[in-house]
Amino acid sequence: MARLSSGSRSWSHKAACVWLALVVLVAGLAGVLPLPYLPSVPDLAHIAQPPFATSQHWLGTDPQGRDVLSVLVFGARTAVLLTLPAAALSALLGALAGGAAGFWGNKARLPVPYWLLATGGAWWALRLPIPTLALVIAAGGLVVAALARLRQRPFPTWAVPINAIVMGTATTLDTIPRLILVVAVAAGAGVSSAGLLGLLTLTAWPHPARLVRAQMLRIRELPFVEAAHAAGLPAFQVWFRHALPHALQPLRTAMPLSVASLLGLESTLSFLGVGLPPEVASWGRLLSTVRQEPAAWWLFLFPAICLIFTILSLLNLSRQQPVAA
Amino acid sequence: MQTPNQASIDANNLLGLSLLQTDATKHENVPSLAKALPSVYLVGDSLTRLDYHIRAAATWDDGRPVLARDVEFSLKLMFCPGLPNESIRNQYRFVQAVLTDPKSPQHFILVCQGQSPEYAHASGDFFVQSEAALDPQGTLRRYSLAELQRRPNTAPADSGLQAVARRYLAAGTAALAAWPGCGPYRLTQWKKDRYLRFQRKPNWWADQLQPVPFVLQAKPKQLDFVIIPDAATATLALRGGELDVYPLMPAREFNRLRHSTAAQAGLRFYTALSHNVVTAGFNTRRPILADALTRQALSRCFDATALLRATQLGDGQRTVGIISPSDRINYNDSLALIPFDLNGAASLLRQAGWRRTTGPAGGWYRPGPSATRQHLQLRVRYRANEDVFATVALQFRAAAAELGIPVLLLPTESGAFSQALQEGDFDVYVRILMGNPFVFNFTPILHTLGVGAGNSTGFSSSRADRLIEAIAAANGPARRARLLHRFQALMQQEAPLVPLFFVSTRVAAGRGLTGLHVNSLKPGYTVAAIERPPTSTPLP
Repeated sequence: MARLSSGSRSWSHKAACVWLALVVLVAGLAGVLPLPYLPSVPDLAHIAQPPFATSQHWLGTDPQGRDVLSVLVFGARTAVLLTLPAAALSALLGALAGGAAGFWGNKARLPVPYWLLATGGAWWALRLPIPTLALVIAAGGLVVAALARLRQRPFPTWAVPINAIVMGTATTLDTIPRLILVVAVAAGAGVSSAGLLGLLTLTAWPHPARLVRAQMLRIRELPFVEAAHAAGLPAFQVWFRHALPHALQPLRTAMPLSVASLLGLESTLSFLGVGLPPEVASWGRLLSTVRQEPAAWWLFLFPAICLIFTILSLLNLSRQQPVAA
Repeated sequence: MQTPNQASIDANNLLGLSLLQTDATKHENVPSLAKALPSVYLVGDSLTRLDYHIRAAATWDDGRPVLARDVEFSLKLMFCPGLPNESIRNQYRFVQAVLTDPKSPQHFILVCQGQSPEYAHASGDFFVQSEAALDPQGTLRRYSLAELQRRPNTAPADSGLQAVARRYLAAGTAALAAWPGCGPYRLTQWKKDRYLRFQRKPNWWADQLQPVPFVLQAKPKQLDFVIIPDAATATLALRGGELDVYPLMPAREFNRLRHSTAAQAGLRFYTALSHNVVTAGFNTRRPILADALTRQALSRCFDATALLRATQLGDGQRTVGIISPSDRINYNDSLALIPFDLNGAASLLRQAGWRRTTGPAGGWYRPGPSATRQHLQLRVRYRANEDVFATVALQFRAAAAELGIPVLLLPTESGAFSQALQEGDFDVYVRILMGNPFVFNFTPILHTLGVGAGNSTGFSSSRADRLIEAIAAANGPARRARLLHRFQALMQQEAPLVPLFFVSTRVAAGRGLTGLHVNSLKPGYTVAAIERPPTSTPLP
């Protein structure tokens, strides 16, 4: 088997790493950098100024008088704080869902009391009509559990088609173009930064889920998994402690791609004016201000450079080079 | 002052007519559907009778003459339950009765409460609707205008009135193209958020008039209104010749084009001071904004001078109130402009009972009713994709942040914005109020009667109500000016609104066009008088 090595890297890979490190560093230090203006403070005396026209605004200002350099710096923070967690959360969600779907398929069985408790809890949480019915269902679960214990019998079980549920949901989400889905939700209900993070996560998990599921289908047939079953370990433990860590390998490659895709999506949303709140700095929104001031090339050039370099670097990072051991 | 969408008013002006209309060339109200300005008769010391005659030639699309009955129906329709006419009701509440003349069906008298000289102009500024088309059964004839005006909201539903309301609403949405009008154009095509196409009627009744009055001239055979949401695209379309006229042009874009040699070759640029004022409004129904001192303090967070310079390149006028400084008689120049003064704002906040706390949950707090604690934090709502409003909101947020007041900006899509204002779902709004120099009726926007309708701030004060009523009924320009001066002083003291600056009308148009008559009145130019001189076709 080929072994992945970090020993030899091309110059482009090193440049990508340097650029991404710089972005992360700038994002981390945004609050303490000696910037003359915060991105939310307009300088009304200098509206749409070109770069170096005044000593205070090195990269110029936008049509609202915001300092372009500040917006780029704080936009980096937004990009890092929004897209990295969204990519990590979607990878986690996708790994758990895809891993479970691949490991158990449609053959998992869940004790009836858990079914009833879960149904009652979901009913209550979703605030469906007749909330007392949720309580009745949950109480029914407890009664069934108590009766089974009294008679010293194992809980009756019902099948849980995990694979069908996960893949069905992922396919349903995939049938709607992600941009349209996110724009529809964001434009209809309006979103905060946290809401946008949730929205990006909920729409980005199908891809990692498919990758992990495919890997898990191979892993579950390997001898060490069979040995763990034969040793009498509980199925959950086999899945979580032994199989899942091996099934996560594809995410190493997919993670930078996911970040790049989410960065592009966030910028598109901000460009369309349906993404982050206006007080949050964003490269995409800065890019969009060129529509108000078509002659202001600096409003297009600088955020475009940031976006292009970051996305190219992430793509480069995902292309890991196999090196002979 | 009105707040509806100006573009929709412009479109309606092509389909329908009012009794009187503003002549941009004379800068005064002149007869339109009416034959002449109304004759005014004062009755006793509290009533005015306005004697109108409709032009004999005036007809609806189906050939029926426009009658006094139609005017009476239109006034009654304003007060018909089930129609969203709250704002216009407050504007025309002064008309108490319509007296028609059976012998002369195009003659009628409006009986008005009060003796304001303004009534002669204000009474004729509504679109006249066809009774035969909208109420063929004559349901509204069963009610007098006064009965409909006095009808309480809690009155049991009347099936006849409901049917009229339903019919009107259906005509407004489903059968727009078949809308019965007496105006010069017919709406032939439209696509939501895209465009509207108006075709000139081939045999419009006003063509028979000799000479055709300016307000009844309709020269273009076809008018297309194209909705282009962003300035850069609209400018490209204008420069590419796909657009002939670009009204309400943003200042920077206008300035850039005006100084471009290439653009000057194909375009003309017009500018005139308008009666439209960029205004911030406070939701006085919110407990934190219910007192005048807090509102006065927040008024000092707007840097109107810098905003005027930044957004309009200085092309506009700062103001003390909602009367334009160009109206020298009525503008109260003894009042000082509200300064941008954060120290003063903090001092006023302390006077209003607010105390600033530090720490993680820092901010301004004061005791509220029932042992609660009020926290001064604001949500600013404005129409999305409007550069001027976004800049005002951003500047206010930055100033408030310096004081430690958290402000959330809520750019909102146009339709949702109107709804949010109607429902009071905001703390501060930023928008443009459109003024009319001939009418000083502030009932729709600042009177208690307007709360829940056009009075978005929810401002309600018996003193202001009395003053608004007195202005509307003032029996002479001098008295009205005195009352308007007092009104501006009161509004500055109560501060439900912060009028920031009056803006200019900017129009860019193809060099070949004539007859735009760019002026300070809404909508800033006369679309129906535009002409394109015939171009000579080169010989083969």
